Amino acid sequence: MSCCQPNPKALKLLVEHSEDYEQFESEEVLTWCTGCGNFGIQNALKRALTLEGIGIQDMLMCFDIGCSGNGSDKIQGYTFHGLHGRVLPIASGAVIANPKLKVIASAGDGATFSEGVNHLIHAVRNDYPMLFIIHNNMNYGLTTGQASATTPNGVPMNASPDGVTADPLNPCELILSLNPSFLARTFTGDVEHMTEMFQAGLQHKGFACIEVMQICTTYNHATPQEWYWERVQYIRDNKKYDRTDIWAAKKAAADMENNINLGILFEDQKKVNFLNRLENRKQINTTPVEEVGYYDISRLTKAFE
Amino acid sequence: MNRTVLKITGESGMGLASVGSIIAKALKRAGFSIQLDREYPSLIKGGHSNVQIDFSIEALHCLSKEVDIVVALDRVGLLEYLKTLKEGGVLIHGYERHHLMKDLEKQVKKRKLKLVYLSARQIAYSFGGSVLMTNMVLLGALWKVLGLGFKALEEQVKEEYADKPNLLQIDLKCLKAGFESKEPGHQTHFRIPQPKQKPRKLLINGNEALALGAIHCGVRTYYAYPMSPSSSILTDLANWSHESGMIVKQGEDEITVANMALGSMFMGTRALAATSGGGYDLMTETISLAGMTETPFVIVIAQRPGPATGLPTWTAQSDLNLALYSSHGEFARVVIAVSDPTSCFDLIQHAMNLAEEFQIPVVVLTEKVIAESETMIDPPQLKKIPIKRGLVTLPTELKKLQSSDRFKITKDGVSMRWIPGSSPAFYFSNGDEHWEDGVLTEREDQVGIMYDKRIKKLKTITKTIPEPRIFGTKKNANISFIGWGSSKGVLQDIIPLAKSKGISINYLHFDYLWPLKTKTLRQFCTDNPNIHVLEGNHTGQLAQLMEKETDLKFPQRFNKFNGRPFFLEEVLEYIKKEI
Repeated sequence: MSCCQPNPKALKLLVEHSEDYEQFESEEVLTWCTGCGNFGIQNALKRALTLEGIGIQDMLMCFDIGCSGNGSDKIQGYTFHGLHGRVLPIASGAVIANPKLKVIASAGDGATFSEGVNHLIHAVRNDYPMLFIIHNNMNYGLTTGQASATTPNGVPMNASPDGVTADPLNPCELILSLNPSFLARTFTGDVEHMTEMFQAGLQHKGFACIEVMQICTTYNHATPQEWYWERVQYIRDNKKYDRTDIWAAKKAAADMENNINLGILFEDQKKVNFLNRLENRKQINTTPVEEVGYYDISRLTKAFE
Repeated sequence: MNRTVLKITGESGMGLASVGSIIAKALKRAGFSIQLDREYPSLIKGGHSNVQIDFSIEALHCLSKEVDIVVALDRVGLLEYLKTLKEGGVLIHGYERHHLMKDLEKQVKKRKLKLVYLSARQIAYSFGGSVLMTNMVLLGALWKVLGLGFKALEEQVKEEYADKPNLLQIDLKCLKAGFESKEPGHQTHFRIPQPKQKPRKLLINGNEALALGAIHCGVRTYYAYPMSPSSSILTDLANWSHESGMIVKQGEDEITVANMALGSMFMGTRALAATSGGGYDLMTETISLAGMTETPFVIVIAQRPGPATGLPTWTAQSDLNLALYSSHGEFARVVIAVSDPTSCFDLIQHAMNLAEEFQIPVVVLTEKVIAESETMIDPPQLKKIPIKRGLVTLPTELKKLQSSDRFKITKDGVSMRWIPGSSPAFYFSNGDEHWEDGVLTEREDQVGIMYDKRIKKLKTITKTIPEPRIFGTKKNANISFIGWGSSKGVLQDIIPLAKSKGISINYLHFDYLWPLKTKTLRQFCTDNPNIHVLEGNHTGQLAQLMEKETDLKFPQRFNKFNGRPFFLEEVLEYIKKEI
């Protein structure tokens, strides 16, 4: 585990801000399996929020359905737990209404790459300003271990006793093909790296997409924790890596077998997010949440006289 | 009643829309009342369509089936719409080889039709115009046939084509030549009573009025996926977005649209979405989510005949059951039906209020014939309907809130709602069954209580919403009707017409269909002996609903389901049979 690099600065800050961290701590009993990657993801998210100075009243967390969604009432804060596959439209509708709150969307690989894959494509195109955390554990955990679009070919799963016949998709390759403004990949074995990635995603002004490769101790026997540790490497260790180069990113994202790259794979800070593309709102400084009231329509009705 | 009915027919691209608009505006400005409808029959080749304009010095609320004048811009229109002409009606056309059409000759003779033929193409060419300008020649001829003043028409043409000054000169020459032609049969055939005054009115369709109502009451985000006949709401709101500042977003599908609207509403702004039946089908899971999370939600269904793709450009009242029974699980909802542009403007505002105050989904039903037909209304009254949001907003109150206030079990089922982020008391909006602060629960002693709390709101809502409205006499009518949506218009025209002939007719109109108000309904049925339900569907969806909610029976039903609205003549015919 030599590649894991604790960040002493971040740890010190976390200790100093332990009260801020505690605001997210819930008394609710977590329902995930022992060893589930979701514990680490939730922990890293709380850390990232603390380090970014984001409090309960500054954000909305939107959750999809599945094991990831079962964390929706296990973290303190305003949350919305919606429909399977639909977390991105809920979250984008929310952030359009009130961009003053940081919106965080979470979904699993089933929601993101099967049930709601169309939403992912259009959320990237529209660059809705939010952090999107993809919990990729390569199976449908909550429905007891069926194959997802990221389950490797040939692996026997619930409802695929002879092994999965379809080819898996590579999430980062798919997202990169859509020219995202931010894409990172991280791994539930390394909470500190996840924290760092979430922080970068929270700072990003557009659609920050983060694939978390997640351990599923119960159903994913094909790629357990050790499998990842033998393969992951950190892109920051490659000093020549240019994360503004989409072709470099596509190359870095491709290998899922031998050397799996973790880190910010691609970033385009020049991309203008959805809200800043709206021509009709260039002179408007308020948010739609603040604007509800009567509007004069007399100039519009003139056309019908 | 004095009513003149025109039909202008031709292929798409022949300028039908502008000709219709010129006629309508010229008549409106002269003080006439108008009903304008566009039909797009998909059975005729070449994208054939027609514009029908009914006009009168009296107020009009519905369309006629039979036509006084057909203006045919092409041969197909001439043949297809000949049969819609009343006996003695006038056919204005420019088809040179009409003498070869044996059927035309036969029909003209048999039904005493009057033919007005102008060599429109040659006239247009003679001024250097194109074949498209035959429409101006025939428009001029129409004005002569109607015996209306040329100047008003000329002004309207100038306004319509102000952005094409070069062509305008030719257009005006064509128009004048059409008006002054000396061809045989070209004369004034009608004596139209002239309006005594020119009241300030708007000529507007239902979708436009609905969009204006939404802007007026503070809808700040609009989401839609194009689907006839709801699409023009999207177009209009997008075109008006610089004036309104509204965020108008075309989503990738209807599921997206519904969820984006729900997300925006949840966050605390006013959001709207509109679609037609098929699109709504895709949204139903989201309606259920709105019910469960007690998030305000307003969705417009612009009805067209189904099932499946059905008749995309025609009208229907067949999605009441869809609005009532869609979505899994049980929860409180409100279903409202608009009936004309004024009600579109008003009811969309009430829909927003009900959704927000009671934290429920509200379904607003409109119909193609309301959505796209243009009619005359008084300019809408502004700030008439108070904006009711049911939100906790005072800082002192926000500070005192507990998380468990959000879904607190209350007597009327309504709990406090506040904008995410506005109070330290956060809450979970949970699609899973939950307890008062939104935390998931499956406990036996909680889930039933929470389930009941959500449905209890229905009783509270029933007390709030108005009773159905009675048009015409209250009691002892010779024949009585009950209906919703566009059924109202035809009866608004028939009631005074029948009264002048000594027949007493009344009509009970439901603006609010769910929860169903039954007090006035019972009284109406007690007070009137001959009740009929008039609906644009096959199964009598309102009749069934009323039977389900009362001990009354409604066996007498007039149902129409061929994509056309209820026309004046056929309802009159029905009345004749039933009294």
